[in-house]
Parts: sequence; structure tokens; C-alpha cells
Amino acid sequence: MKKKLLCVLLIVVMLATTVSLIACNKNSAGEANFVVPEGGYDGSAVTLKFYHTMGANLRAVLDTYIVEFNKIYPNITIEHEQVGSYDDVRTQISTEINVGAQPNIAYCYPDHVALYNVAGAVVQLDNLINSTEEGIGLSDAQKADFIQGYYNEGKQFGDEFMYTMPLSKSTEVLYYNKTFFDEHNLQLPKTWAEMEALCAQIKQIDPDCIPLGYDSEANWFITMCEQYGSPYTSATGDHFLFDNDTNKSFVKMFREWHKKGYVTTQEIYGAYTSGLFIEQVDTNSYMSIGSSAGATHQRPAKDETTGEYPFEVGITTIPQVNASNPKVISQGPSLCIFGKENPQEVVASWLFVKYLTTTVAFQAEFSMVSGYVPVIKSVGEHPAYANFINNADGGANIAALSAKVCLQQEAAYYTSPAFNGSSMARDEVGALMIKCLTENTNDVDALINSAFADAVDECEYNS
Amino acid sequence: MAENKKATVIMHERDIEKTSKLQVVNNVFGTFFRYLFLIIVAVVVLFPFYWMIISSLKTLAEYRLSVPTFWPKQVVWYNYVEAFTAANLGTLFKNTVIVGVVSTILSLVITVLTAFVFARLEFKGKNALFAMLLGTMMIPGELFTITNYETVFRLGWLNTYTVLIVPFLVSVFYVYLLRQSFMQIPDSLYLAAKVDGTSDLKYLWKVMIPLAMPTIISITILKMMGAWNSYMWPNLVARDADMQLITNGLRNAFTEATSGDTNFPVQMAAVALVSIPLFLVFIFFRKYIMKGVSRSGIKG
Amino acid sequence: MVDSKHKWKAWLYLSPALILLAVFTLYPIVNTIRLAFMEDYGMMKALSGATFEFGFGNFEKVVEYRNFTTCLKNTVLLCVLTVPISTVLALLIAVTLNSIGPLRRFLQTIYFLPYVTNSIAIGMVFAAMFNIVGNVSAEPPLITTAGIINNFLGIFGVEPINWINVGSSYWANITVMVIYIVWNALPFKILILLGGLQSINKQYYDAAKVDGTSRARTLWKITVPLLSPMIAYVVITSFMGGFKEYSSIVGIFGETMGPPGNKGAMNTMVGFIYQSLEGQHQGRASAASLILFAIIMAVTLVNLQVSKKKVHY
Repeated sequence: MKKKLLCVLLIVVMLATTVSLIACNKNSAGEANFVVPEGGYDGSAVTLKFYHTMGANLRAVLDTYIVEFNKIYPNITIEHEQVGSYDDVRTQISTEINVGAQPNIAYCYPDHVALYNVAGAVVQLDNLINSTEEGIGLSDAQKADFIQGYYNEGKQFGDEFMYTMPLSKSTEVLYYNKTFFDEHNLQLPKTWAEMEALCAQIKQIDPDCIPLGYDSEANWFITMCEQYGSPYTSATGDHFLFDNDTNKSFVKMFREWHKKGYVTTQEIYGAYTSGLFIEQVDTNSYMSIGSSAGATHQRPAKDETTGEYPFEVGITTIPQVNASNPKVISQGPSLCIFGKENPQEVVASWLFVKYLTTTVAFQAEFSMVSGYVPVIKSVGEHPAYANFINNADGGANIAALSAKVCLQQEAAYYTSPAFNGSSMARDEVGALMIKCLTENTNDVDALINSAFADAVDECEYNS
Repeated sequence: MAENKKATVIMHERDIEKTSKLQVVNNVFGTFFRYLFLIIVAVVVLFPFYWMIISSLKTLAEYRLSVPTFWPKQVVWYNYVEAFTAANLGTLFKNTVIVGVVSTILSLVITVLTAFVFARLEFKGKNALFAMLLGTMMIPGELFTITNYETVFRLGWLNTYTVLIVPFLVSVFYVYLLRQSFMQIPDSLYLAAKVDGTSDLKYLWKVMIPLAMPTIISITILKMMGAWNSYMWPNLVARDADMQLITNGLRNAFTEATSGDTNFPVQMAAVALVSIPLFLVFIFFRKYIMKGVSRSGIKG
Repeated sequence: MVDSKHKWKAWLYLSPALILLAVFTLYPIVNTIRLAFMEDYGMMKALSGATFEFGFGNFEKVVEYRNFTTCLKNTVLLCVLTVPISTVLALLIAVTLNSIGPLRRFLQTIYFLPYVTNSIAIGMVFAAMFNIVGNVSAEPPLITTAGIINNFLGIFGVEPINWINVGSSYWANITVMVIYIVWNALPFKILILLGGLQSINKQYYDAAKVDGTSRARTLWKITVPLLSPMIAYVVITSFMGGFKEYSSIVGIFGETMGPPGNKGAMNTMVGFIYQSLEGQHQGRASAASLILFAIIMAVTLVNLQVSKKKVHY
């Protein structure tokens, strides 16, 4: 048996060498620098595939507006499907790119686009945006209507080109127990320094509580980098720049907070921090930082007998390092377009992307159903949406309240550079944050130094 | 070989009587502990199933509580209603049954033939070939996905029943299992059949398959369940709504509107909805087949 | 073994299996080997027209990984711990089940239930059982709930153990993994061994009963030898599977392959392969899988040698 197994192995190795000598020619994924064909869209019949992650209720909204879109462009058929989660979309498309079977349009996060771009599969939108062909380009008014922070997300890929269009966005906001805050006459923290004092104050009122829960460790780290203006990553040159003294010092500061019992995160706590915030158990929190799109999870369940919410939820901006120069993260899906042999497919894809991102009615309805916020300012004047925002409260209409807070921060949005490996950096800093906040040691500086160095090593090895 | 060792046993009547009283006491104790042991294992095995059911009866808010509840505070049935309406269960069920049944039958035929060759027939290079088959089980299959995707793409099989059935018809795992079972059947039976002029296939059908029936049933169950639970491959190659299998349809159907997270209670309800009939089918199926099988055993 | 006069028939019967295996298993393996020797191969890079040199660079990269020994250690440890435990336990359960009268069918049916239970439910129930919710790393620590396992141990006066949460120890993590993997493996092994037991002729047991042979002796002298082909099968295949442990770890610890703040502490070879695929290092992943293949083959050769001596057909 032994000899034979070895023989087999040898044969397999030989076979392998033969095959490796055969040149492999793969389909090119299409031309990235797209040239708009003369005359723009020629009205020919094309079928577009659109991958997204929308649930049933959002698909219903989309279907309504596809009907509207087809009134303008009857020959463009949109076939859309939900491909599980964001990660599933990325895995599916990167496999399909391999044989040239990628869809036309997809929901994307910046690091996905960076990945597809290694193969040059994503179409640069600049020529389409600036096209003078009829119905193709964006007018100056249309461009100006976009919330700048969201629009600029499309250009964060280390070259000057635009690769994505924002569809709907969210950010992180601070949810607080307004009933409790009013009762004890507490002030909302504008800065992290005020937050520390506030946590100490709350701890005195309720020693068994954890005043603040932060949902995402990675967002926390990256947002702090941005607020301090210290390096995190770069899309060009050396990618991983987060191992620096400023970052180490804020991590050390939050470690002290954590040890004093001021703050916890989802991973450290071992359960949803929103659960900690809304539950009426022995331990709870009075503030919770989480996605503005998840507002309904931050609202306590109604009391069964009275039908009232046990407390009112307030929503405000997250604390800042410098309150006059606020920075908040920009999250949520964008759309990208894939290269195809037939330029008409690309132009048609663009028309649909343009339709979804610039149509006020669609943006308004999609936002109200999803809890995300629209990416164009003029939605604010849409009657239904304006009504939605005006009825915002900390109970039944909490989604509107979070959207309202989100919309007030339009100048504060930042995005991190996107490159192949940027999601790796995100994972690493999240893990680093947990490690540095929690691990027991006599030499905190040594722990922090080694954790940072290890995280950079890991990023560099895996990217 | 353990045969014939116990062929002749001489016992004295007196000895039997002496030991029997002790045995009764032993038996009572033994039986008690055996049942205790089996019931503990049963509880442990049942726990996730129980969890699946209670999760499907919880509200989303209760499901997200940091202190998990072991019985829903408020039993709700609307998850089942939503599961029933949100996913196109009819199509998903139909596809899964077609793929499950066809691939199980084809796979059984191939497995039986292959195991028969390796257990009974003799030809040059047989052992090397078998070693090679075992060798294929040793490479992590994760790396096959992309190559196989390319292959089925080139063959034009995407979004067909073929792509869901054919690529994983052969499982060395089951061939090996059945070969072990076949090898326990004494050669003498085969030689006798040869003398009678029975053909190989007839012998396989009349003697070997009935004798190895418990193993074949195990394989059927495993293969069926495999088809039922497979996720990665179908998700990659059969994306069209009218080609999706139950796990794909179910995993993707229930996301929350706001965060895009999976709505687990609804998903659990959906899984419970489809697994309970499956489970009943299996109880029935197993009983039915076992009835027809001689329980005399292989050896002897 | 009997010599067949019609050798072509053997090949005829084998042909469907061989053709399918050639296309869907052998070809991908060959492709894997090819990529393993293309230095720094990445699929997306290849699509953009990059070329790769032939060499051993991928293998060097794999061995140079700072956590390579951790991956290797976890892989081997989990395998050598779980295979014997689950096999012996499954054997005991199968034999006991086969020896009882009433409730036998019912219990047998219960043991099939895991097959219709959703795998997500299985992961979630485990997380809930071992999970401590609270600020365990703050001073003083705050515990909201210690989890059902700790509550149970608390009855016997045991202090809550940090199994899988932030700051948990390596051996606590390993213990949870072993329990989880054994639990997951049991139904399959019980099914196989029970199938084997049902094929054993009752006469042997009747003889033993008359003989007054003790239960343990019957098990060791009659059942185990008669069941040896199935036991060999279970052991050999679970060693092969045991070295490829990955999804069970994701089930407990998530994609970070370790407790919070200790990313990769439970990482394995297959975990490393996934990590490499994720980072678009298909060449490196292929090299790692060949290294793993070599390890599994060595162990299987030993297993086959042992089983040759011990298995009775």
C-alpha cells in the first residue's frame, strides 16, 4: 500500500507539471476605462443583472421603481436578486469574474471594489458622469445635490477616478436613555473628555451599570484615528499606518475606562450592546453607540400592561475629539458597474444606477423602509419624507429620529481609504482594540506595543 | 477470525441456576444504567433541536436579549406565517426533492457498483486505484470550488438540475463504507454462486445488497441529508429563483429591513417547517425498508 | 478474494465513478498542485494579466507565517483528542442501544434528529450554553449571566469558568472545541456502528450468554472484532476529517478563529487555507493544502498498517 501511494503521488505531481506548462488564457474582464459610445444608449434590448442584499420589503420598493424606470427605457430589463449578505455578494462576484460571468450592477462596499479592481473588472464612471451625450451625464445641479461626503466615497481608491455611486447610507449615532438623563439632569457629552466625566457621574448614580456600550470595536478605532487626524491606512504606498503613538495613547485611555467599568463593546460584553441598553435587568447601560440604521433595536419593548415604552430614547451625535471639527463614519451600500463586452450593457447599467441614485421619490421611499438615509439633499423636500422626519420621536418613530440626526451631520462624514486588504486592516484593529482593553498585564505599554506590531505584521502577511 | 471459537459449549445445569440469581440483580441494575446513559445522550442530542423550535417561537426582540431565555416569554406564531409567505417554499421544496431523490438514487447505484468491484473483483492495479481514491479524500476540498465552477461554467451547466446533481454523485467516503460492509460477506457464498452460474450482477442484487442493507440505508440517509443541507455549492451555481434549493432559499430570504442581519426566529421557523415532514418521511421510510430485510445478519 | 474472469467488467462497473472523479476531483487536485508551485499566485492578479514564476515560494511563505505552528498544533491536537473520544463513546452508545428492548426504536429515531436540525441552531445553542455575558475583564468583573454550563457546575460549587469569552485560556477553548466536535461527530458514528451491529449474527451473542461471559468480555472479544471493519472505517475517515477541522471552530468562535481579542488562537491549517483564499493568495492556499495532504497521508498510512493487522473481514 505504501509504495503504491507514493507511486500515485508521483504520477499526480508529474501530471501537475504538464498541466502547468499549458498556457492558460482567461477571459478579460472588460475595459476599465470606459468610453461612452457615440449617441449614448441606442435603445437596444439589454438584460441587466443586479446583485444586492435587500430583504423582501426593500425588493418590493425596488420592483415598483423598476416599473417606473421601464416607462423611460422599455428595452432595459432588470433582473435583480438577493445574494445573501455583503460577504456573499463579494464571494459570488469574485468567483464569477474568473469566468467573465459577473453581473452588471452590484451592491458594494469599498473593499469589494478594490478587490474586483485587482482584475480590472469595475467600470470607471468618470466618462459616464461627464458625458455630454443626451441623458447620460450628470448635470451640475445633480452633482451638487449629492451629500458630498457620500459622493466622494466613490473616489477613495488611490487614483483620481470615480468607481461607485452611493445608494443609501448610515452612520453611527449615540443612543441615550432620555428618561434617565432628564431625571438626573445629565448633559449630553460633546467630546470624549465630557464623556469620561459623564460616565463617572453615572457610575455614582448606579454603581452596577456599564454607562456606555459601543457596538463595533473596529469602527471605534477607525473613527478615533479620523478624529485625532492620525494615520490609519493609505490606499497607496505603505498601506498599514496605524501603529503610531497617538493611536496607542487613545487605546490606553479607553483601556482605563474599560477597567473602571465605564464602557464595553459587543465582543467584550458577549452579547448585543443594544440588548444591554434596552433591557431592564440587573446590569444595563444608559448610552449605546451603534448604527443609525439599527434604531429599532435600540428601543425597549413596550410594557405589556400599559402599552408604554419603559423609557424614551434620545439620539445624538457621537462624542468628538474636537467638537468644532466633527468626524463620523459613513456606512451603507454603494453601487458599482462591471465591464462587459457590449458597451450598451454598460451604458444601460449606468442609466439604471443614475436613476436609483438621483430619483427623489425612490430615494425617499427606500430610506423610509430601510432606515438608511437618502444620499441626495432634495429628498428633504419630498412631502412624504418631510412628514416622516417631522414626526420623529424616541418611541414609535425612532427610525425617523435617527435619520434626522444622521442628516444633520452631513458635513462630518469621513471614509477610509479602500484597497485590497483594507477589510483585513479593519478586522485587525477591531481585534487589537479588544485585546488592549481587556488583557490583564503588569506592563500595559508592552502589551499595547506588541499588539500593534502583531496587527501590522498580520495585515502585511495577509494582504 | 472469530468464527467457530464458541462452536461447542458444554454447560452444567447447576451452574446455570447458581448464576441466574446474580444475573437477575445484575440485569436490573444494568438495564437501569443503560437506559439512564441512553436517555442522557438523547437529551444532549435533542437540545439543539429544542433550541431551534423555541427560537422559532420567539419575537426578534426576545431573541436578541443578552440573557437567553429557555422558554419564550411570549410564544408567537407569526414567524411561521412569515416563513410560509416570504420564501417560495413550493418551488424550493420541489427542487430539493427532485435533486435529493435523483442524486441519492444515482449515487447509490454508482456506490454499490464501485464498492462491489473493490470488495469482490480482482484486477491489476486495484489496490493502487483504491489508495488513490482514498488519497482524494485527504486534500481539503475548499480549493476545488473555483476549478469546478469553471468546469461547470464551460459545460454550460449553471442553473440546471444537472449542476446540482452530477458533480458530487461519487463519494469515496460512501464507497469505502460499503466496501467494508461487502468485504464481511464470506467468499464461499460468491464461489457457490459462481458454480451455480449466477452472474455477478445477479449475485450482487440477490445476496450482497440484502446482506449489506443496514449500511445501504445509512448511506441513503446520509446522502439525502447531504442533499438537504448542502449550501455552498448550490448557492454558487444555481442562483436563479426557480432553481434554488431549500437551504439557499431559506438562508437568504429572511433579512431584517434595517440592519440587513438575518432574522433568525423566522429562519428557524422556516427550517422547522421543512425539516419536520422530512423527519416523518424518514421514520416511515426506515421502518418500511427494515421490514423487508432479513435480520439474520451477514456472518455464519 | 476471487479472481474475476472478465476484467473488463470490473472497469465497466467502475467507469461512472472514475469519470466523475476525474473531472470533479482529480482535475481540481491537479490544478491545486499547479497553483502551489506558481509563486505568489492570485486569481485576480492572474486575470489582470500578471505572470507567475515556477518555484517553492508559496511553501516558504506558508512555513514562515508567524502563527503557522499554532495552526499546526491546533490541527493535530483537536484531531488526536476528538477521534478516540468520539469513537469510543459512539461505540458504547451503539452497543448499549443494540442491547435494550423497549424504547430502542424511539431512541434510535431521536439520535437521527441532529440531521434535520439546522447547523446554525447547533452553533447558536453552544454559544448560548458556554457564553458568559458581562464585563468580565473590568475591575471588579460584572457578570450578567454565566451561561447554562457554568450554572450547572455552580450546583457543585464550581466558580464560573471563562470558556470562550474575552480573556479565556487556551485549554478552556480547547475543551469547548473538543466537546463540540465530539457532539457533532456522534450521530454519524452511531449511525454507522449501529448499521454494522445489526449485521452481526445473533448466534454469537446467544453463545456468549449461555457461556456466562461477562458483558465487558463479550464487548471486547466478540463485538469489537466483528465490528472491526466499521470501526476501522470510522477511525480512518474521522482522522481524515479531524485534520480538516474548520467550520466547527467558526461555529463557536466566528471567523476570527479565536476568542475576542485573541484572533487566530484556535486557527487550524484549513483555517489558514481559508484566510489565504480570502486574501487572494490562491497559490499559498494550495501550498498549505499540499502540506496538510502530506500530514494526513502519513497518518493514514499508519492507520492502514494497524488496521491490516487488526481488522477481521
